[in-house]
Amino acid sequence: MRISSLKPVVVILIALALSPAILAQTAGHSGIKKTASVTHTPDLNGVWANITEMAPSFNPKEDPSFQSWAEVKWKANKNDDPGQPIITNGRVDLDPTVASCFPTGMPRLMTEVFPFEIVQLRDRVLILFEKDYAVSHIWTDGRKLPEDPDLSYMGQSVGKWDGDTLVVDTIGLKDITWLDRSGHPHSDALHVTWRVRRVNHDRLQIDWAFDDPKAFTKPWTGRSIYRYHPDWTLEEFISCEDRLSHVGESLEQKAVKGQNP
Amino acid sequence: MKNKRLATLIGLIGFLLVSGPVLAHHGRSNYDVTSTATVKGVVTEFDWVNPHALIHFDVTDDNGKVEKWIAETNSPNTLSRQGWSKNTVKVGDQITLVGHRVKGGANYFNFSKITFADGRELNPAIQN
Repeated sequence: MRISSLKPVVVILIALALSPAILAQTAGHSGIKKTASVTHTPDLNGVWANITEMAPSFNPKEDPSFQSWAEVKWKANKNDDPGQPIITNGRVDLDPTVASCFPTGMPRLMTEVFPFEIVQLRDRVLILFEKDYAVSHIWTDGRKLPEDPDLSYMGQSVGKWDGDTLVVDTIGLKDITWLDRSGHPHSDALHVTWRVRRVNHDRLQIDWAFDDPKAFTKPWTGRSIYRYHPDWTLEEFISCEDRLSHVGESLEQKAVKGQNP
Repeated sequence: MKNKRLATLIGLIGFLLVSGPVLAHHGRSNYDVTSTATVKGVVTEFDWVNPHALIHFDVTDDNGKVEKWIAETNSPNTLSRQGWSKNTVKVGDQITLVGHRVKGGANYFNFSKITFADGRELNPAIQN
């Protein structure tokens, strides 16, 4: 009889144990678990430098197949000087960044020799570029790409995690820029998909897909590799400082015209 | 005459002595990369400027005639990581540069190696 009369008390104690008031005491544990899952997001933070085999481009698996206007532009832009590798820097006199001081823009910045720093925030991944001191904002808060974005040099980027890979989509790019250092042209319809993965402590690998029906007859792909430099900090690189100091023409440009110092 | 002077000042060392990354952040199409040359002179100014640091220097030929030259190299951000600073090259330094001359023959040079009078050598190449 005594035992049966205790049953309601036991039930009440169990109920209390499971009540929000009691659970609140364990909220810290719950929070820790959530934090732990966040830290499982791959750590891409740090300074990275381009060591891609055909770094002036994106080490393309096969040559891009161009629309006719883009083919003409590519043939003009590429540097065919003797002794040059197949993929090298484009012609400086046609390079919008070197010849005309336009911002480098995306995705070309990812082919430059200067390092960049990745900073992972709660709602986005930032890429801070040494060149031009440009910043790419890759939003990871679930937002969609804009339907008809205003065009810019850095474009609009969103990203989401697919396991250990950050999958980024970039659109809204001005067509004044080269797609890469080698001089591949692109249009304002360019859609870049990049899959960013830290393959080991020292290496970042990005698989690229370039879809631009106005410029290419079919999408093309490539892969870039970057080395981790934990002891580096970003310096400053400004493309046209000498030009501004010498009334519109650099001393190199004057020399090319035959003018001695 | 000019050719004779150039022959005195510039020794052709051969192909491929200059490493590729030297001008890697933009093209080398302004330079005669088919030949590598050596130029000696005395520094008159070191300009720590983007996109290329510039060494202004005087070259004296066998007849004692002095010509103004400019040699460009990598950018300050890259040079900083190689241990350079705005004080690495000083006015009055005697320097020997190895690199490529600008196409067209003006006194403008892009160098991949600099040697000072005390034998100190520096390589400004990007090392990613």
